[in-house]
Amino acid sequence: MNWPKPGRIRDWIEERLELSALEEMGRHKRVPVHRHSIWYYMGGMTLFLFGLQVATGILLLLYYRPSAGEAFESVQFIMTQVPFGWLIRSIHSWSANLLVFVLFVHMFSVFFMKAYRRPREITWFSGVALLALTMAFGFSGYLLPWNTLAFFATQVGTEVAGAVPVVGHFMLKLLRGGEHVTGGTLTRFYGFHVAVLPATATLLLGLHLLLVQKHGMSVPPAIESEAKREGREARTMPFLPNFLLRDLIGWCVAIGILAALAAILPWELGTKADPFAPAPAGIRPEWYFCWMFQTLKLLPGHVLGIEGELIGIFGIGLAGLVWLLVPFLDPGTPGTGGRSRLFSAFGVLAILYMAIMTVWVYVAPGG
Amino acid sequence: MRRPAILPALLLLVPGAFAAEPTKPAKPPALESSCVTCHKDLDGELQQPAVMAAEDIHFLKGLGCNDCHGGNPQAGADGDLDAAHDPKKGWSGRPHRKDIPVFCAKCHADAAFMKRFDPKARVDQLQEYRTSVHGKKNAAGDERVAVCVDCHGVHGIRAVKDPRAKVYPANVADTCARCHNDAALMGHYFIEIGQVDAYKKSVHARALYDKGDMSAPTCNDCHGSHGAVPPGVESIAGVCGTCHTREATLFRDTEAKKGIDLSACIQCVMCHSNHAVLPPTDDMLGVGDKSTCTACHAAGEPGYQAAKEMGEDVVRLTGTLREATELLDRAEQAGMAVGPDRFALKKAGDQLVESKVLAHGFDLGRFKEASTEGIKAAEAGLTAGHRAFAELRFRRKGLALSLIVIAAVIAGLAFKVRQIERGGGR
Amino acid sequence: MCVSMLYPVARYISPPEVPEASTQSVVAGREGDLKPNQGKIFRFGEQPGILVRTEDGGYRALSATCTHLNCTVQFRGDLKQIWCACHNGFYDLSGKNVSGPPPRPLEEYKVNVADGEIVVSRA
Repeated sequence: MNWPKPGRIRDWIEERLELSALEEMGRHKRVPVHRHSIWYYMGGMTLFLFGLQVATGILLLLYYRPSAGEAFESVQFIMTQVPFGWLIRSIHSWSANLLVFVLFVHMFSVFFMKAYRRPREITWFSGVALLALTMAFGFSGYLLPWNTLAFFATQVGTEVAGAVPVVGHFMLKLLRGGEHVTGGTLTRFYGFHVAVLPATATLLLGLHLLLVQKHGMSVPPAIESEAKREGREARTMPFLPNFLLRDLIGWCVAIGILAALAAILPWELGTKADPFAPAPAGIRPEWYFCWMFQTLKLLPGHVLGIEGELIGIFGIGLAGLVWLLVPFLDPGTPGTGGRSRLFSAFGVLAILYMAIMTVWVYVAPGG
Repeated sequence: MRRPAILPALLLLVPGAFAAEPTKPAKPPALESSCVTCHKDLDGELQQPAVMAAEDIHFLKGLGCNDCHGGNPQAGADGDLDAAHDPKKGWSGRPHRKDIPVFCAKCHADAAFMKRFDPKARVDQLQEYRTSVHGKKNAAGDERVAVCVDCHGVHGIRAVKDPRAKVYPANVADTCARCHNDAALMGHYFIEIGQVDAYKKSVHARALYDKGDMSAPTCNDCHGSHGAVPPGVESIAGVCGTCHTREATLFRDTEAKKGIDLSACIQCVMCHSNHAVLPPTDDMLGVGDKSTCTACHAAGEPGYQAAKEMGEDVVRLTGTLREATELLDRAEQAGMAVGPDRFALKKAGDQLVESKVLAHGFDLGRFKEASTEGIKAAEAGLTAGHRAFAELRFRRKGLALSLIVIAAVIAGLAFKVRQIERGGGR
Repeated sequence: MCVSMLYPVARYISPPEVPEASTQSVVAGREGDLKPNQGKIFRFGEQPGILVRTEDGGYRALSATCTHLNCTVQFRGDLKQIWCACHNGFYDLSGKNVSGPPPRPLEEYKVNVADGEIVVSRA
């Protein structure tokens, strides 16, 4: 029997898949080099952590059982009986938190580098949508181990949805699968977490990445005008292999950090949720929800005759909308400073607000 | 449109398709008697029996007023009061208070009669009552002592199993307290009051009232119900021993084995009190302030030494057990497998109970066997907890190793990047 | 590095010693462990269970935690009953509390014998 020559196999594949086009694209892809280049790694890092979440998530699915009677026990089983189960679960939990953090960094870097400018508005929209999905991932995943803290955090979190006028009660019932947080809620959240959200996120992520490839990396207007003034061409480096290798270094660092976190601060399991037990003191959501949680907590019961919580929800919704529409709201034309800089200050304020609120939750006595 | 109409019609043919609403049990015929009809329209004392009778077990079982009081309800239906209350028809009116036990016993001591209502009904209540302090005084003509109606009520008597009954376990103490907390009444007999208050602080009352455990003892479980007497000194271990079997057996065996008479120590109550039986604490053993042993055993005696050792062991076992449990809890929260160790630790708990039981045998050797085994199990739990944390530390070592590998890869990548870029720059 | 990442994953995927969280069933022993009219305590999760072989050779499995104050019960071959030493509580072999303070019956489990293994599961 004649084995086909390796070259012929490549030709055979090439004829059908035209991989050379991809290769060509990769060869031409270049990454701008300037003093803010470091922020370009955040997108890749987010992507890597997302991949890690998918991989560890699939592994957890091998043993996890989504029912009130078995969820806690099965996670306990993973942590104690399955070889390296503690590692996989801890990495999944820690990596989720790191992912959210890196995602915020990525988003704010895009904001300050004004990378949402024409023609990248849709990239920004898809990014904001991915942020929302990630938070939904976090919210739904938090409940899955069915421990006391998660149970009550979910109860509080879904209650907020119930306060929305008109559709609130319907949404609350839709989220909880009934009037209360029960085993039914768990099954539901499980469905969101492993089917609905991953599918949607993958589609959006595809769009996001496709657009990034199509438009290339954005150079901040300040850098652009600087280069123009000095009359030199902006420096770049090839994506393959220079940038990718640097990406790889970052990913290795991430793996190292995650492994260290998993071994030194293993993600705790807590105690099994008891729906009939009184709520423990100091319930708070995951840290990335804390600024919203604290905002709602700080609002007085009634403001001008309107329920405070309602105003809070409305405000947060409005903030989300403003954030989504950032590409249209930025008044500054590239390099004009002034008004544009004011717009950046708005971003700094947003970060400050979120940071202060989050810290507040953690330092306030009694949570 | 015709077919749907057939279906309901068919359903009518199926027996039970339309289940009847549960109906209230029919009113017992006895309540329709002329006695009730007339007495209902009377005032005060004479009306009460007719009203209260509606829920009285005797009426619910189909007995009428005349079955206890005699008379002729048929005659009464015609409005003839004299005929209704005819002594020739057995009309006896209201029984005299001191005659009530005999009055009730007319039926309740009649086995053949009682079998008609309950094949397992007991018929010895009067006989028992006669052995009680209440019964003896009653026989001597004392009208103040408790008779049937004082505990069971009159015209409104409920079955013992009925939670509303005054003799339902959860209500017994209050029923007894009606007289036994009455200082004036008890003063006649030179009996102190306050037993019920003491009881309500006891471990038994906590089980009965807080946990709703109806098997927990209340007054009558130790004193008897109809034959209520204070348990004599010689029978206390027997009374307590109905539930605390092993302690009682060990206690009695000691008397036999060592040939000593412990009755002087008034047995169980010496250490545990009588009505206010508090949950036993570890420092009841040993030779500390709260020790119950030092009341008899002075320093230097072998008994003192035994007490000291028992106390030390119990404290050590309790402490180690608590420490091991906490350690395993923490290990489990950190994600370590401690299920089997936790199960093994149960043995320490069981041995703790066992050694506390064996303390009642006053045999240091036997006690030591159990306590030593318990301490061993608790220490094994402690070791298992430490092992779990050692495993955690081992994971950190594994981490250090993998971090070295990762660092090497990072260094390799960095080197590669520099190599490429130097080449590109040339 | 690939090895250090793939090794945990490979170990994770390979079946653990116990195939699933033992909340629902457990192997309580092997046939022949018990003579007729004998009982033993086994581990069911973190709680003790009691397996009794009756005189006619059948098996009964019950929760071994006394419903009174959580002591561990034992089988008394001489009395053919389950006995709690703490307060002299008795249960029959179907778990019913027959005398003494226990307020409730012991939970009864299902017993299956397969390949010589006695498998106890929650009904």
